[in-house]
Amino acid sequence: MSEGPSKLFIIRVLIERDLRTLVKSPFILINRTIFFLIQLFVFAFLVSKLASSLNFNYFDFYSVGAVISTITSIAFIIGEDLFEEEELGLLDYLLSLPFGHSLFVVGRALGGAVRGLIYVTPMMILVAYLDGYFSPVGVAGSLVVVFVLATGISGLSITLAMLIRNANRFDIVIALAELATVRVSAAIYPLIYMPNVLQPVATYSPVTSAADIVRAIFLPTTYQSGLYETVVLVLFVAVFFGLGSAFLFRKIEGGKFE
Amino acid sequence: MIQFKDVTKSFKNVDAVKNVTCEIRDREIFGLLGPNGAGKTTLIMTMATVYRPTRGEVVVDGHLASAEPDWVKSLIGISFQDPKYDRILSAREILEWHAKVTGLDKATREKRIDEVLTKFGLTGEARKRTWTLSGGTKKKIENAKVFVQRPKIAVFDEPTAYLDVPSRLMVWEMIDELRDEGSTVLLATNMMDEADRMSDRVGIMNRGEMVQVGAPASLRGGLRGRDIIEMKLEVPIPELPGEVSKVEEIKEAHFEGDTLKIVLSNGRGLLPHLINVVTAKGGKVLSVSLKEPTLEDVFLHYTGMKLS
Repeated sequence: MSEGPSKLFIIRVLIERDLRTLVKSPFILINRTIFFLIQLFVFAFLVSKLASSLNFNYFDFYSVGAVISTITSIAFIIGEDLFEEEELGLLDYLLSLPFGHSLFVVGRALGGAVRGLIYVTPMMILVAYLDGYFSPVGVAGSLVVVFVLATGISGLSITLAMLIRNANRFDIVIALAELATVRVSAAIYPLIYMPNVLQPVATYSPVTSAADIVRAIFLPTTYQSGLYETVVLVLFVAVFFGLGSAFLFRKIEGGKFE
Repeated sequence: MIQFKDVTKSFKNVDAVKNVTCEIRDREIFGLLGPNGAGKTTLIMTMATVYRPTRGEVVVDGHLASAEPDWVKSLIGISFQDPKYDRILSAREILEWHAKVTGLDKATREKRIDEVLTKFGLTGEARKRTWTLSGGTKKKIENAKVFVQRPKIAVFDEPTAYLDVPSRLMVWEMIDELRDEGSTVLLATNMMDEADRMSDRVGIMNRGEMVQVGAPASLRGGLRGRDIIEMKLEVPIPELPGEVSKVEEIKEAHFEGDTLKIVLSNGRGLLPHLINVVTAKGGKVLSVSLKEPTLEDVFLHYTGMKLS
């Protein structure tokens, strides 16, 4: 009896495919890189001057948040890819290959996370340098944090791709989801300055948790984080892995007819 | 051996496949005939465990597909009707990834990819992004995935659609080679000549049901005696099919253009009588031909509709 490729091998090959397609779409990366650099060196620089009277270094705060929001944005692309694959019928091909539906979701979520990680690694090193942080171990730790966040965001994005059938509606929902996950969080502004109604939501946001952990690594004298943030992140990943897999199954079995 | 045991697959309230029971033997080319929407693709996807049967079961080499989906999928390679791959990637990248994910080692996949690309005359285009290529070339790349993989169960859905005649012949030859090497081939098509030429046996599907299974010659033989007379007239006369159908041995008569097509229920000795009936109604016969039933006629017989 044929044993077939191992699960680990399948996940690696699924990730490899996502990386290949990303490399072939440089405009997305160029677009987001330019956006990141403008946000960092124009927006953050200016607002930092405005906020200096508050005795608060906004540039340091924002630089980490910019990386977090960029990886969130990149991780959302995997859902768009999957939606397009479903529309083109490519999903039928992928699901006919020798691996289970759950492994497929895991592979794609990790694929989304890995390509996000590769993309933001230079940004993270740049931010660490600008924040005056030079420990390779700490930088590696911060990359682990953004990788975990990106895995969860990819799962969320896959879940949305599987839930929504209409292309226009999907575009709107994914844009809103991206906006909400970044803006209703402490990625780019401190919680205390947020409207009261949003503060409780932002407190439980995995994006807030990821940003807080990375800030605590780079700027330990100013920011602290602990077990709570880690738990939020891990729970977020677990929930959306499960949901992505469940909705993928429902989509395949539910509504298609040749 | 692949066994479909009373398989039904429903989507919401629609039965895409209804109570299909049939067997596909090892190392045979099994033609799956049917118009678009007949349920061919759903049946294939159910066998490939992408869909779970609503009722019934699929058994592959003694293993229940729904219980061991990954194992069953490891035996199968599918060439889809419409090419399904990342069009941003090149042919070589697509084949390389497909070969890798289906478990071929590096040396084998490089050798096979080179072989298949050379056979299809695609070496010059192997590194171009596939969205820039013609429909026929895209289809060749879709087929190439299975020829590189050489799976135990090879599925081809309309493998020669969009292809020119030399490429069609090449694909047929390569499918034959695949079978000779030990693969079981499932060939879904709505091209009768392809099914007739390639298949050891065919299954006729219509509206989700498998209405008949058998060797093409045997199915045609089942209609023996039901020969077809084609009478080309100078001008078609609308009342002639009705008039001719009054003859007891005539099963059916209709015009296709200016040709009166008469299906006999038995016997060939009617020709002089039929010519008399036509000329009596003022018809001027330009030519007459008698032909034996084709697979198209078999399809018409079992489904009541023409495939093409």
